[in-house]
Amino acid sequence: MKSSWLKIIASFFAIALIAAACGGSDSDSGSSDTASSSDTETATTEAAEEEVIESGTEAEGDVDTEVEEVVEESNYGGDLIIGLEAEATGLRPWEDACSAPCLTMVGAVFDTVVMLRTDGTIGPWLATDWSSNEDFTEWTFNLVEGVTFHNGKSFTAQTLVDMFPMQQVGASAAGIVTAAGLTEVVAVDDTTVKYVLGSSHSAFPSFLVQTPLGAAFDAEAATADFDGYSMNPIGTGAFMMDKRDLDNETIVVRNPDYWMSDSDGNQLPYLDSVTFRPIPDEGTRLDSLLSGTTNAMQTLRQGTIRDARSSKEDGADITLLEFQGNNVGGGMYNLNNPPLDDVRVRTGLTRMNNQEAVIEALGGTGISLPGTQWFSPDSAFYSEKVAAAWPSFNYDAGKGLIYDYINDPERSDGREVGENIEVELSCPPDPTLIAAIQVIEQLWSSTGMIDVNVTNYDQQTHIGYALGAPPDFMGSHGAHCWRWSSNNDPSTELNRQMAPHTLGVAAAYGLDGIFTPTNFFNWFDIEVFGWLVAAIGTENFEERYALYEMVMMRIARDVPMWYSGHTATMLAIDSNLAGVNGWVLPDGTFGGQGWSTPQLNQAFWTN
Amino acid sequence: MSSAVRRFGKAFLEMPLVVKIALVWLLFIVGAAIYSRLDRIFGQALPLQDPFYQPFLFGEAKPVEGPSGAHWLGTDVLSRDNLSRLLHGSWVSLIVAATVVVFGLVFGGTIGAFVGYTKGKVETLTMATLDVILAFPPLVLLLALVAVYKVRNLTMIALVFGVLGIPTYVRIARASTLSVASREFIQAAEAIGTKRMAILFREIIPNIMPALFAYALINAGFVIVVEGTLSYLGLSVQIPEPTWGNMINEGRRDIRQTILPIFWPGLFLTLSVVSLNLVGDWLQQRVAVRSSAL
Repeated sequence: MKSSWLKIIASFFAIALIAAACGGSDSDSGSSDTASSSDTETATTEAAEEEVIESGTEAEGDVDTEVEEVVEESNYGGDLIIGLEAEATGLRPWEDACSAPCLTMVGAVFDTVVMLRTDGTIGPWLATDWSSNEDFTEWTFNLVEGVTFHNGKSFTAQTLVDMFPMQQVGASAAGIVTAAGLTEVVAVDDTTVKYVLGSSHSAFPSFLVQTPLGAAFDAEAATADFDGYSMNPIGTGAFMMDKRDLDNETIVVRNPDYWMSDSDGNQLPYLDSVTFRPIPDEGTRLDSLLSGTTNAMQTLRQGTIRDARSSKEDGADITLLEFQGNNVGGGMYNLNNPPLDDVRVRTGLTRMNNQEAVIEALGGTGISLPGTQWFSPDSAFYSEKVAAAWPSFNYDAGKGLIYDYINDPERSDGREVGENIEVELSCPPDPTLIAAIQVIEQLWSSTGMIDVNVTNYDQQTHIGYALGAPPDFMGSHGAHCWRWSSNNDPSTELNRQMAPHTLGVAAAYGLDGIFTPTNFFNWFDIEVFGWLVAAIGTENFEERYALYEMVMMRIARDVPMWYSGHTATMLAIDSNLAGVNGWVLPDGTFGGQGWSTPQLNQAFWTN
Repeated sequence: MSSAVRRFGKAFLEMPLVVKIALVWLLFIVGAAIYSRLDRIFGQALPLQDPFYQPFLFGEAKPVEGPSGAHWLGTDVLSRDNLSRLLHGSWVSLIVAATVVVFGLVFGGTIGAFVGYTKGKVETLTMATLDVILAFPPLVLLLALVAVYKVRNLTMIALVFGVLGIPTYVRIARASTLSVASREFIQAAEAIGTKRMAILFREIIPNIMPALFAYALINAGFVIVVEGTLSYLGLSVQIPEPTWGNMINEGRRDIRQTILPIFWPGLFLTLSVVSLNLVGDWLQQRVAVRSSAL
């Protein structure tokens, strides 16, 4: 008793010290690269989704046709107010973790080197074309001419060279630099830049559609005012910063010198200004749109999509742009934490995961598709073979596996034969996730063989528990809500999450120094690693498909994670607004970022 | 005993109707909380549905059903019985409120009376320390304890509220003591040589207790709201344990479909807090009359 009281008193003073320490700091509170490179199922703070890059494929409609019509009817003027799901922690591409709300703002102010097309391939933007050497270790990009930053400075190859030192150490970009194997950026001439990699990467341009590496910023201005750049970012984008009032509104205004024109030669953008308003509550954000307080809103919640659909059916004058991307939610098992180190337990728990019920609890029935792999059925990498192999819901089979484990004298958790296993099941305290986690808890607990300890921590703490601490980054989590993947090239996600999770593991397999803190499952398979490396050594799609299929088959066998459904996202917009969901790339092809992130440089009011 | 019952009966009859209704509601909540605990102890032996069971997982019911014979107050988003969850949730509110009141009356009352009567350096030091505790935001402490211990249960929540509630009681007890200690009957007791501790426990504490108790009732209502707020934010006891606050939080996502999962806990919360305030106010008025008659 005395000891408990001492602990509480000690904690009290520890908090006071921490509070004092925090209060004394005036530095920027950007997330670390490791923490921010993770991605959890709540997706309400930036840190969780920095690298889940965000491309979604349209679930419905013919994008190409719509875009062509849009361009013909476009006209200038007007202001747009967008309700975002959160405030961005910062707008520095190399430093600040960025998810859907942040990407929406960043996309208005910054251009990227290349752009994702609606079909998932990479199209031109600031770069007109590109090529690589034979072994994919050198990539040369030709850049568009006549691009200037908002401060009048010219964008050239040297701009990208100057950005590189900041990206190498940036909290947001450093992990991507490592994942890409990028070692040097060289300006061949004013409009030609060469990226030199330490190892082959056939999908390297995929990294340049993303904020941390791909967004062009003025390194000189950023160095001169490191913190201030977040409040007053300078890019080459269609809009320039006018006012940034944190947690209230951010206003960007038309860039009169923007370099892009539409297919008729009219200079972009069409809109005079865009106002971003963070409205964290899902219902309030939708109500704001319905009442006309805002003109557009984003969401990553199935329940909100359901409510927006319902409002539209009731006559609301809104257009719903839904995306069902490759991002898949669910949870992961920490293999360092017995009994989760045993594949019987992981498979058993997964087989008892009633995905349909979880999706219903999430409010996503008829909206989200159950996941069986990192790729959605819309993806070119989706595999029916993997879908068939995934340990789908079979309650009795799951119970059987758990029964085998608890009656195994060699069980890994050190408990007596027949004794229940104990599993910590954790999610951030979002109402939607709380419902989903309780479904799983009930299913597991109902076996009578599993003591489920449900926990909820705020997003940052949730990520922190999964990440763990240096030097090993093992994580102290158990079964942990999470989500993975994106519409970008599979290598951008898989390679950094399935490398050796400690230096010791790396050394054991002769991979000295190759280590990732973002292998949150602490699951390493040398064959999987070999397949992933092979997949970035070729640009032949069939070969790559086969390799990623083998990776997914191995995941289905070893089950380091479970899936709920693919993440449905939505942009709901005033029906008089057009051009936010599909747009024309400089080569005339069509782009579509998805992930509830509107592209604003070709958006316009139709009336 | 019969005298106490008679006095209570007399007091009850003297209450305004609205206070009588409030008291009956509070007795109902206390009874419901105890009943729900007995139900859990005896393994659902009592006719109350399992607050955790989700029949939709086993094809037995649909989520968010309206009131029916099987579910008097309907079901929530996971098809759980709302009534059962409300009654179980009352236990959490009650324990947290009771802990604060008990800690406040026992520790706060005693410390306040002691420093108010003895005065001197002890009083200065005590009040300064309590000022520091009062300045500390309870939410930060709670978050830190959760981070340190990775556990968030009823005991921890109740203890945090209880400890952080003490300073206010100390202040009220001290202020009341300063007033009571200057009265003639205290001076008379001192004049005849009664020991100071005896005066403290026999004369002062019994006279400040009614005022403290009246405050405690109003404070309990406030604590129930704060606990509900913490639950709403997901910072109180861990799910799936039902609380009124987390029931509101879970129900708000589907508020466009049905308001019932939010309405019931909201109603219970409101009625309980209003009842505590009404009874507390009534008691305070009686105390004021009694004090002026001293």
